[in-house]
Amino acid sequence: MFKEIIHSKWFVPVIALFIALLLLPFFAARFYVYIIALIFVTSLLAMSLNLVVGHGGMYQFHHGVFYGVGAYTLALILKKTSLAVWVGFIAGPIMAAIIGLIIGWFCVRLTRLYFGMLQISLGSLIWVIVFRWYSFTGGDDGIPGIPIPPILSSSKNSYYFILTLFAICLILMYLILKSPFGATLQAIRDNTQRCEAVGIHVRRHQLIAIVIATFFAGVAGVLFVVLERSVFPDLLFWVLSLEMFIMILLGGWFTFAGPIMGTAIIVALRTFVGKYTEYWTLILGILLILLIFFLPEGVMGYFQKVFKPRTGEVAKGNGG
Amino acid sequence: MDFLAFSSQFLVGLSRAMILFVVCAGLSFVLGVLRVPNIAHGSLYMIGAFATFTLTKFIAGSTGFWIALIVAPLLVALISLIAERALFCHLYQREHLMLLLFTFALSLIVGDLVKIVWGAEYRSVSAPALLRGSLSLFGASLPRYNLFLIIIGPLVAIALWLFTNRTKIGKISRAAAVDREMVGVLGINVSWVFAIAFVLGCYLAGLGGALIAPTVNVTLGMDHSLIIEAFLIVTIGGLGNMWGALVGSLIFGVTQSLGVLIWPQFAIVLPYAAVVIVLLLRPKGLLKSVW
Amino acid sequence: MLQVEALVKSFDDFMAVNRASLAVEKGEIVAVIGPNGAGKTTLFNLITGLLKSDGGKIIFKGEDISKLPPYEICKKGIARSFQIVNIFPRLTVFGNVQVAVLSHQRKSSHLFRPAQSMVIEETKDILKTVGLLEKAKNIAGSLSHGDQKILEIAIALGNEPELLILDEPTAGMSPEETLATIELIKRLASLRGLTILFCEHDMDIVFSIAQSIMVMRQGRTIIQGNPEEVKNNKEVQEAYLGGE
Repeated sequence: MFKEIIHSKWFVPVIALFIALLLLPFFAARFYVYIIALIFVTSLLAMSLNLVVGHGGMYQFHHGVFYGVGAYTLALILKKTSLAVWVGFIAGPIMAAIIGLIIGWFCVRLTRLYFGMLQISLGSLIWVIVFRWYSFTGGDDGIPGIPIPPILSSSKNSYYFILTLFAICLILMYLILKSPFGATLQAIRDNTQRCEAVGIHVRRHQLIAIVIATFFAGVAGVLFVVLERSVFPDLLFWVLSLEMFIMILLGGWFTFAGPIMGTAIIVALRTFVGKYTEYWTLILGILLILLIFFLPEGVMGYFQKVFKPRTGEVAKGNGG
Repeated sequence: MDFLAFSSQFLVGLSRAMILFVVCAGLSFVLGVLRVPNIAHGSLYMIGAFATFTLTKFIAGSTGFWIALIVAPLLVALISLIAERALFCHLYQREHLMLLLFTFALSLIVGDLVKIVWGAEYRSVSAPALLRGSLSLFGASLPRYNLFLIIIGPLVAIALWLFTNRTKIGKISRAAAVDREMVGVLGINVSWVFAIAFVLGCYLAGLGGALIAPTVNVTLGMDHSLIIEAFLIVTIGGLGNMWGALVGSLIFGVTQSLGVLIWPQFAIVLPYAAVVIVLLLRPKGLLKSVW
Repeated sequence: MLQVEALVKSFDDFMAVNRASLAVEKGEIVAVIGPNGAGKTTLFNLITGLLKSDGGKIIFKGEDISKLPPYEICKKGIARSFQIVNIFPRLTVFGNVQVAVLSHQRKSSHLFRPAQSMVIEETKDILKTVGLLEKAKNIAGSLSHGDQKILEIAIALGNEPELLILDEPTAGMSPEETLATIELIKRLASLRGLTILFCEHDMDIVFSIAQSIMVMRQGRTIIQGNPEEVKNNKEVQEAYLGGE
């Protein structure tokens, strides 16, 4: 497989990009370093969502909950306990995965829309608890001023830390998707009934996928805290969860790296547009409508269709 | 806890449940016929409330409110009709996820449009003279407006029931919910059925917004907080089931208001917890879903 | 090998399967025939666990499998192809079969080894048997209908079943494709020793390869026997054979 990777047409551009990103802090202003780091964190979140949605075919409507749980776990450990930092780094994703397991266990018993609606319900319960429990979670103010260890607090160091973890997670996700687990997951997305007929325990498989995805969402949450030094209940609010859908849709949710591209575009647009108007939400809505009508396979999907026609038109398969 | 406090809180909860019911009946209806949860439902509810504010400001006196009660939902229905005919109807052949994301896009756009038109401040609407103040019943003081709501709720339920069971369009909508292909085969234009269902559902959202306007601060963010509650209610009631929406609204509204007596700080958590308990026991909702 | 006894299944008031019975010996090729709506697909769905029966027994290799979920039944050695094409449209032809092979070898959950390098030989072998090896890299959704039906069978073969159930395997195929499929079925029975149960509307096919035929009508089993017996049975003649 490694030979295949080295010879694929993506290898050189990706390596070049990686080197450029490594050198970025040396020639870019602090603000841009921050934005790129934010893109890494949000992309990781979007990639973890796409594991379940684009590759798994499940209606994961409230993925933000796991992101928020990871972030809040680290935040609370750092702010309220004197445990070592790395404990927080590990506890965040694990906590997210545990919540993912619990919520996921209830959700996989249902399909499609029921799955999504149940997840919104259970996720909203967690949101409302975080939102209201002022004494513990800071309520709607969130938790500002989280003490990050000094070594990570400089712009450069936090950037490299985030970049490293982002890269590691990406590689893991790639391996997972290319493994038998990943192939089976995509088969489940395409045709659940056939998978059952072929001997696959669909629910168990889906649940494992959810736990993996929520673990990565927890990692993204932890990285968020490193970058922003604060947490807010908005991380667990359903609006963010659905905005993530826009990111994976824009990039192309049947591709591997689509979510990264989608996230980068959205974050960049939001930053840029935010300077001129406070009506970013309106623009995001219009963008989404344009996407739905003109580019449903996303940017990457579009390029794939244009540049890879020899394997035949991709059929309008069931999206989920 | 004394009986008076209990009963007056109960009635508050009941009246709140009635507003929730009006909104959720609309959401449930759209969900049943189009099989899509309308995320823009909360935004349209918000327009209903803001439109009521503007109408009551410009038409002096109590008549302002009564006119608003008629006009605001119609305005919302018109907006939804435009959105539906211009954009939404072209998506009916696509996967459901696309329809859902379209309604999300709509909610984003409408949310900001409200900000543009009305600004970000809190607004308030006063109830018409007839409904101000309270009645004294068995020693308890019951706000007249709440009683009004408690009457409106069942009226809407009856009207909806008559529509879906006694009118031709209503019956066709019910059939389309269960088997849209069959309805199409029978020569009925399914696209129009969807349009009517969508507009009716949004009308109810606007009506809910108009009804709630005198009781709360009309603000941005109303849409977001409402849509979560509406989704939860519709989910525990059974997707697409109007009576389920009623049951769910009652559970939600009454739990919250009674919760204030037991655990004031976390009263808002109780309806969510009730929802979770229902869903753990009956994941597909209490009543049968339409499909 | 497979015994179905007095199987019952009703949907609300409609009796789809009404005390049907079926016996399949190891190594046999058995056909189930009957007019549309006779309950053939429902019967297959019951046997493979997609539906739960309301009464009766399904015994496979001496074990009662009536209550098992589909993936368990598959593990016992029964595989099935579907009447309406039921493949994985976004995966490649190779990928479609590979999923089944991986599942059979219990490797579906392996997380970190690249799937591409696994079970290549077994997958290629199956594709060669059904004649789809040259199209291995094509996206399944882009295949012709006939090829998709063959892919259906290939996926079922991925589970290395002992009993292969084929639901109208030649439906919608051209005459050449139909002939090729018949040859394939014969090969699978003789070379691979598979026991085959299938249902079909085309009587020529049925009478040319089936060793035992079961006739269904309105959910009941009219008769099961060798082709001669079935041809000569009065009830079968009046119900069915004349009009088809």
